[in-house]
Amino acid sequence: MAEQGAADPGNNNNNNKPEDSEGTIIKVTVKTPKDKEEIAIAEDASVTQFKEEISKRFKAKQDQLVLIFAGKILKDGDSLSQHGIKDGLTVHLVIKTAHKAADGASTSASSSTSTQAGSSSTSSPAANPTSTSAPSGSAPPSTQTPNLLTGFGDLAGLAGLGMGSANFMELQQQMQRQLMSNPEMLSQIMENPLVQNMMSNPDLMRQMIVANPQMQQLMERNPEISHMLNNPELMRQTMELARNPAMMQEMMRNQDRALSNLESIPGGYNALRRMYTDIQEPMFSAAREQFGSNPFSALGGNSESGAQPSRTENREPLPNPWGPPNSSTSSESGTGTTGSTSTTGSTNPSVSNPLGINPGSLGNGMFNSPGMQSLLQQISENPQLMQNMLSAPYMRSMMQSLAQNPELASQVMMNNPLFAGNPQLQEQFRAQLPVFLQQMQNPEALSVMTNPRAMQALMQIQQGLQTLQTEAPGLMPSLVPGGAPAVPTGGGVPPENPASSPSSTGTNAAQQQLMQQMLQMFAGGGGGGSATTQTPEMRFQTQLDQLSAMGFINREANLQALIATGGDINAAIERLLGSQPS
Amino acid sequence: MDQSGPYPVKLYIYDVSRGMARALSFQMIGKHLEGIWHTAIVVHGKEYFFGGAGIGSCPPAGTVLGEPDSIVDLGSTEVNEEILREYLKSLSESTFSGDKYNLLEHNCNSFSSDVAHFLTDKKIPSYITELPSDVLSTPFGQALRPFLDSMSISPGGNSVTGHR
Repeated sequence: MAEQGAADPGNNNNNNKPEDSEGTIIKVTVKTPKDKEEIAIAEDASVTQFKEEISKRFKAKQDQLVLIFAGKILKDGDSLSQHGIKDGLTVHLVIKTAHKAADGASTSASSSTSTQAGSSSTSSPAANPTSTSAPSGSAPPSTQTPNLLTGFGDLAGLAGLGMGSANFMELQQQMQRQLMSNPEMLSQIMENPLVQNMMSNPDLMRQMIVANPQMQQLMERNPEISHMLNNPELMRQTMELARNPAMMQEMMRNQDRALSNLESIPGGYNALRRMYTDIQEPMFSAAREQFGSNPFSALGGNSESGAQPSRTENREPLPNPWGPPNSSTSSESGTGTTGSTSTTGSTNPSVSNPLGINPGSLGNGMFNSPGMQSLLQQISENPQLMQNMLSAPYMRSMMQSLAQNPELASQVMMNNPLFAGNPQLQEQFRAQLPVFLQQMQNPEALSVMTNPRAMQALMQIQQGLQTLQTEAPGLMPSLVPGGAPAVPTGGGVPPENPASSPSSTGTNAAQQQLMQQMLQMFAGGGGGGSATTQTPEMRFQTQLDQLSAMGFINREANLQALIATGGDINAAIERLLGSQPS
Repeated sequence: MDQSGPYPVKLYIYDVSRGMARALSFQMIGKHLEGIWHTAIVVHGKEYFFGGAGIGSCPPAGTVLGEPDSIVDLGSTEVNEEILREYLKSLSESTFSGDKYNLLEHNCNSFSSDVAHFLTDKKIPSYITELPSDVLSTPFGQALRPFLDSMSISPGGNSVTGHR
C-alpha cells in the first residue's frame, strides 16, 4: 500500500480498483497552511500509516504532523474510516515546528514574510515592509492605507467610502439620522483623509456616480445632469458640501432663502420657475422611486435652478410690489389696480400667487393684473433676468416637455395652489395651455420677452387696459374673452404685438375691437377664453366672498368697489370704508 | 499535546459600516447590503482575525469594532491552542501574510473561512464570503475596484506570529 500510495497517486484513483490488497484507495487532500497535496491512501488505513505517507510527501517527521479533520485531531491509533475520512475530503495538517519556539522545519520561517504590526514585539519589521501599513505607520506602499489603518478611522474609511459617494441632498436626512444615532462616526469619517482625498477628486466622484446605471438613465433623460456632472467646478462644490455637513446645511439654507427671494418677484418669473419645480418634483420623485434617491439630480436641479435664479436674485433684490399694497403698487400701475393681492389676501405674492394673478381680475384681462405688470416692469428693467432664465438649459427642455405633454403641464398648473381654488381659472388656463406652451416655444416670443423695449410696450398696453378698466368698466366684459387667454401668454407675446394701439383711446367700439384683437393676438390667436362674458359679480366672486367674510355685507357696494378697484380687495375696502363711516 | 476536551469555536461577525451599509448601500451601489462584514474566529478565549497587518489576535470583542453584530456557532474543535498557533503561524507565513491582504479577494473573511474549516470543517455563512462579489457585481463596485484594492481593514490587536 505504501508503494502504491507513494508511487503514483494519480493511478489508483478509483475506489473500485482492487489494486491493493487492502481495500480501496481513497484520495485525501491534505492541506497545510502553506500548500496542499493529494494523498492516496487505503480506505481503512490507520492514521499512522497516513502520517507515513504524509511525512514522505511533506518531508516532515511523523511526530511533527498533526492531522485535523472535522475539528478532531487524528491520533495515531485511529483509523481513517473511524473519523469518516473518505475519498475527496480534506484533512488539515499542521506541521509542528517544535514544542517551543519557532525552529527547525521549513515552516518556521525566521524571515517571516508576515508583516507584523510594528507594535508587536517580536520579529523584525519583516522582510516585507510592504505589507500594507502597520498601525504604527510603517511606510505604506500604496495610496492611503495608513490613513485607513489608524484606529477606528480605518474601518470608518470603508464606511466612509460609502458616505463619500454621490449622496447629497436626498441623503442628507439619512445622514442626519445616522448621525444622531452615532454622531462621532460621521465626523470621523469626514475627517478621514482618505475620504477627503477621494472626495476632492472630482474625476473619481464623477466616475462613481456615472457608473451607476440608474444615474446613466437619468442622465440620458436629463442632459443637464450630465452637464452638471461634467462641470468640475460644480462637482467640487458639491463634494465640498458633502464633506462638510455644516456647509451643506448652509447651502440648503441659502437655497431656501433664495427661493423665498424669488417669491418676491411678482408674476411670471416665479410662475415659470415654479412650474419647473413642479415638473421637477414629479420627475424626481419618480426617479427617486426608481432607485432610492437621486441625489445628484436633485442637487443639480435644485442647485442649478436655485443657483441661477438665486444668484440673479441675490444680486439684484427685486422690489416687492406686493409689499405695502397701497404704496409701491400704486407706483406702477394706474389707479386702482394696486397689487391685487390675490385671493389669499397675502400681501406677498408668494408662491401661492405666482402669476400674480388675481382670479377675480381675471375677467378683466389677467394681463392687466398688477402681477403681470410688475413682472413686465421687472423684466424690462432687468432683461438679463429673463435672459438667464430662458437660457437656462433646463428651461428649454422643460418648455419642450411641457409643450409635448399638455397634460402634464395642465397638471402642473392645477397643482399650483393659485389655481386650486378657482376652477374657472383652471379651465381657462387649461384651454389656453397648448397655446401658452407653444408660445413659450416660439423663439420669437422668447426674444420678445428678453427685449426690454418690447416688454415696456407690453406694459404700456397693460396700463392702458387698466385705465380703461377703471374708466370704462363696461368695456371690460367684452374684453374678457380675449383677456383671459392673455394672461398665460403674458410673456409669449408674438412680435406682431400691436404696440401701437394700446393706449389709444379711440371710439369705444373701435377700441373695443382693437382691444379684442390685441388680446387675441396676445393669445396667439387662441380664441376666446372659456370664460365668456362674466359678470363682474362672477369675476369678483372670490373677492366678494372675502369682503363679506370680513364683514362688508353690502354686496352691491362691495361689487361696485371691486369693480372700481379692478378687483383689488384692499383698495375696495378702503373705498368701502371711505363711503361708510364704520 | 493535551486535549482537554473540545473547544467551542465561534465566528464573530462585525458590520464595519455600523449600519450604514444597510441604510445607504442601495442608494450608493444600487444593491442592498446588510452590512460590510468583518469576521473573526473566537476560540480558546481569543479572537483571531486577518487584517492589513497580518493575522492578529485579541481578546474576544476586543477590537475597536467592539461587540460583534452577530455570533455564529461553528461547533467545537479538538484543536488546542498550541496546534492552532502553529497553524496560524504557518498561515501567516504563507497565505495570510499581511501583504497578501486584499480587501476584495483575500480578506478577513477568507481567513475566517479557512480557519473555521480547519477547526471544525464547517463553512462560514455564505453571505459573508459573497460580499465582495456582491459589491463587484455592481458597476459602482467595479468603478471603485482599484480604490478598494488599495484599502485594507485592520481592527488592531496583536499579531499572532511572533507573539508569545
